[in-house]
Parts: sequence; structure tokens; C-alpha cells
Amino acid sequence: MSNNNPQPVLELRNVSVGYESARGVVQAVRNISLTIYPNEIVGLIGESGSGKSTLANAIMHLLRNSAFLLGGEVIVQGQNVYDLNSKELKKFRWNRMSMVFQSAMNALNPVLTIEQQIADVFKAHRPQMSKHEIHDKAVSLMELVSIHPKHLRSYPHELSGGMRQRVVIAIAIALEPDLVIMDEPTTALDVVVQKSILDKIKELQKAKGFAVLFISHDFSLVAELAERVAIMYAGRLVEVTGSKELNLETRHHPYTEGLLRAIPELTAESVTIEGIPGNPPDLINLPSGCAYHPRCKYAMESCKTVPPVEKDVEGRLIACHLYTEEAVK
Amino acid sequence: MAVTEPRNENQNVVEVEDLVVKFHVRSDSGKRTIVPVDHVSFSIKSGEVLALVGESGSGKSTIGRTLVRINRPAGGTIRFDGQDVSSIRGTALKEYRKNAQMVFQDPFGSLNPVKTIEKHLVFPLKKHRGYTGQTLYQKVGELLHQVGLTPVQEIRVKFPHELSGGQRQRLAIARALAVNPKLVVADEPISMLDVSIRAGILQLMNDLKREFGLSYLYITHDLASARYFGDRIMVMYGGKMMELADSKELIKNPLHPYTRLLLAATPGSHGNVNLTDQSNEAPNLDSERKGCPFAFRCPLATDICREEMPELKNQASASSRVGEHLVACHHSP
Repeated sequence: MSNNNPQPVLELRNVSVGYESARGVVQAVRNISLTIYPNEIVGLIGESGSGKSTLANAIMHLLRNSAFLLGGEVIVQGQNVYDLNSKELKKFRWNRMSMVFQSAMNALNPVLTIEQQIADVFKAHRPQMSKHEIHDKAVSLMELVSIHPKHLRSYPHELSGGMRQRVVIAIAIALEPDLVIMDEPTTALDVVVQKSILDKIKELQKAKGFAVLFISHDFSLVAELAERVAIMYAGRLVEVTGSKELNLETRHHPYTEGLLRAIPELTAESVTIEGIPGNPPDLINLPSGCAYHPRCKYAMESCKTVPPVEKDVEGRLIACHLYTEEAVK
Repeated sequence: MAVTEPRNENQNVVEVEDLVVKFHVRSDSGKRTIVPVDHVSFSIKSGEVLALVGESGSGKSTIGRTLVRINRPAGGTIRFDGQDVSSIRGTALKEYRKNAQMVFQDPFGSLNPVKTIEKHLVFPLKKHRGYTGQTLYQKVGELLHQVGLTPVQEIRVKFPHELSGGQRQRLAIARALAVNPKLVVADEPISMLDVSIRAGILQLMNDLKREFGLSYLYITHDLASARYFGDRIMVMYGGKMMELADSKELIKNPLHPYTRLLLAATPGSHGNVNLTDQSNEAPNLDSERKGCPFAFRCPLATDICREEMPELKNQASASSRVGEHLVACHHSP
């Protein structure tokens, strides 16, 4: 471990996750190592089936339905999450790390008021708190996410999608965790609402100093929010880069480059876009070597057989033979 | 309300004038009427793509559905090739659907899970164009090829669940094309697809536009793709037209406060919009409402905005080459 850097909030060491299936074990996450430091927002980008949500669940120790950790370590604030017994884990979750789920808009219980749902967290984790204290806490949380406290008495259906999402975020940060994992928290929201939620996340993150792993498929959104961006393809990390370098002037993994070319730019004088040919791979039947090779325009012989390892390219981690060959020279 | 006159010698395929759509809904306070599309006028030229941009509740999908006559207008006219199609029914409507087709957002829900890919195309080709036997078989192959669903022989016999999202959307496009339409209404055709797949679908729609001289109404919430695919962009809010202009012009020189807000909120614009606007409320669509629907969120709103809906006015400077730039705002320059 390096001595200069502060203690990482999250350390993933060679994490692999598998699913039992009729055709044997399917590896949804392969050998992922990633470190997140305090006060940092890291974006995790991937398409459907890339394993990004599975990775999030693995970090939370929430794998179920035949999914299990195949190998590797998940360390949050120096604690290996998989060393905890179920009682310890229940305490650890939400206190130290919490999660905003995909379609969080529907994550609220429709028959409980907002106050009851916020209070739930405190009742479970802070049993010594009085009703009065909990109410005060709920009011301040609502104010924190810019919702009028009168809505504590509301039921979820009485709130708009954006407000529900804010409530879910308020619940996630209620116990001031060190790490908040957000899995597509703004999908299904209108752009203006999305923007206000993102601004709110940034503001809260600055004020409270927690680290965020922000999972999304939206490239431009993540580039704007996060300082560092990790890009997943078929269960592997193909690149970790600073978000400022996410442009075509910088050298990237061919998949990253493909994504950059596939997005129409809003303000450029003329726009050309280029799709990535082919389809996202089937995890049960992954291509050999580098899983991206059938869609890659730079693919070489070695790509078909040898999976590339991550190499440092000008400060970015890239797993591609284009760069390994170069490193050898 | 001013109707946009065609400036081009190109012919208008679609002319919509003062379109009104009403829905009757039940709410806590009894029955009421909402107006998701409120006096909207626009036209689409042959071979043109009109991008329709708005948030949920703006009425954009309702316009699309009304244009292909899934919904019935409560007022105004829709003319297609000069013919009034606003209230046609029966055979005339069936005939019209040959000309105007729709591609839906959800490629998982718009296909029949128990029909093979081939069957999805056989039906419209037989029913509407009367192909049979060998010709029918060939036409199916041609269509699949045109939308990039290859190898054709393998794809034919597959079922929708065996296709990826992008492939399904390609099939939905092929199905729309099967009847040889002049107009395709595409309602958020890429929003449910993976990023790497979206560009391919947009490119396909672009290619088909050229090949068949198709006109599109491209409905989206994403200004960046509207700018890419649309020749012109129309921005709607709460059932009303806010702004309509050439795509580049609209992005470069947005005149309506709502368009500016949308632009600033779009990722990649690096806009630093101050969203004092914490109102996450949906626009009021009530038939009794007054004024500009955006007024309650608008930083420029004054009393007149809350009382009176501004008219659409052409704000293009005489010297500019952008043609029309329509804006409905009391405070636009």
C-alpha cells in the first residue's frame, strides 16, 4: 500500500463475480481492480450486460439469485466486506456504505409516508434516538435535498419523480456513509430534473465529503460529473481515465474511442457520428482473447487469443494490445 | 395563430394547423379535461426530418400518435399530401397508414414474442402491398438486408427474444418500411438502446431517408441527437410550441428561456445553469389554464406571462440565412 495517499475509501482487488446457470458458471465481472479515495466521484460506464450493476451489488455484498463472489477482495475503509458476518454486515451497510438503486424512483414503499421511510433507517441503525430526534433529523435531511419538510407527510405517489429520487438520495446519506454507490440514479428523469439532481449530488458530496461511485451508461453525463471514469466492457475494466481526457485528441482504448465517436456532440459545428458495429457480447459465450475484438477496427491476431492486461498509458490505465505491443518495443 | 408557409419549393408532406388534442381524465376532484396538445401548427417537407423535443408531459408523443391517427384530434387539421386526414376512418384510415408509420420507443414491447422475425414483415407486405409467394419471400429478405439484419437467412427464423435491443429496433423500422410509407414518426427510437448501438440506428434512419426520400417526425428528449438527425427542431412545453428553427440555429442561438434551460441541462453543454427552479412539478395541462405553461418555472416571467399565451413570432433577422425562427415568448428579444 502506498503511504502517501490517504486511505482509500474503496479498494477492489481482482474482483470476479459469477452466476450459476444451466450452462455452468457465467462470469459477469472479471478481475476488476479499482481504488476510490475520499472526496472523489468516480464514474463507471458500461452498456447493459457489461457487469456494472453486478459489480455494485458485489461491493455492497448484496449478490443473490445464484450470483456469488468468485474471487478477489472488496475493502471499504480498510475493512474487507466479505470478512463480516451477517450481523456485522447489517451494521456496516448504510453506516459506512450505501447505495442508490437503479429506478430508485420505485424503490420507495408506496404505503408508507416519506417520514416513516426516513425514520426506518434511524430506527434500525440508531435505536437510541428518540422519536423527536428522528423527526428533526428527517426535517434537516429533506432540507438538505431541497424538498419542503411538509412532504414528510406525503406518500411517494404524491411526489414527482425528481422529488422521489431526492428522497432516496437523502435516505442513502442519512447516516453519513463514506461511500455512496449510485446505480443509474437519473435514468428515466427529464434532463432538467436530471441536471438539478446531479448538481445536488455534487453539492452534497462537497459538503459531506463522501466518495461516490456513479454508475451510468451515459458518457457525457459521467464525463461532466466525475473526475475519474472507469469503462467496463464484458465484465472487464478496459480503461480508467481522467474525465478531462475523454476526447478524441487523447489516445484511448478502442472501445472508449468508439463510444466517443458514437455520441453526437451538441455544440460542434458539424456533427458526424459513427456507431460501433456488432452487438454487445453474450456473457455466456464470450469471444476469446479480448472480448471487444469482433467489434474493434484495430483488432490484430493477438487480440483473438490473448486477453490484454492493463498498462499505464500517459497516466491512463488501458487494457489493449495496441498499447502492450508498444510498451514492449 | 400564424401558420408556417413553406419557403422552399419542396413540397410539404405534412401540414398541421392548430392541432388540439384533449383527454378526459378522472382525478380526485372528479372528471376534468387536459389538453396535452394545444393549438400546434407545423409542417414537414418531403425528405425532411423535423425533430420534436420536449420533456415528459410536453405533448410530444401525443403529437406523434395523433399524426399517425392513433389519437383523434379534438380540433385543427392534419393534412397529408394536401388531404385532410384529421377525422378519416375505416378504409381511408387504413389507406393513410400505408403512408404514415410509427416506430415506438420500446423495441421489447412493440414486437410479438410468439412470431418469428419473418412473420413480422410478412403480414404488412401481404396485407398492404399484396405480395405473395416468391416475391413476398424476396421482399422480406430485401427489407431485412436494408435495415442491416444479416445474415438474413438466420435472422428470418428467429424470435424477437433472440435479438438484441438494437436488432429489435431495426426490425421495428423494417416493419414500418414494409408498407412503403412517406412519413415515419419515430418516438424516442434510441432512448432505450445502449450507447454504442444508438449511433447505428440514427445512421440507418438517415440512410433510409435518403434512399426512400422519407420524411420523419423524430420525437426525442435529447437535444444532441435532435441536432444530429433533425433538419429543424421544434421545442414544446406543456402542450404548446415554444420555439421552432433550423437545428443549428436553434442550438447556437436559442431564443426561448425554456430552450436555453434545456440546452444548459443537457450533459455535454457544460452549461452552468442556475436551477433556482426546484419545481419538479409537471406542467399544468388543464383546459382551464391561462398564460404560458412555462411561466411558473421561467426566470423571466412577468404578469403578462401568467395571463396570456404569447403568439409564435418569426424572430429570424432579415439578413440571416436560417429562414424561419419561430418563438413564443413575451420576452424574447
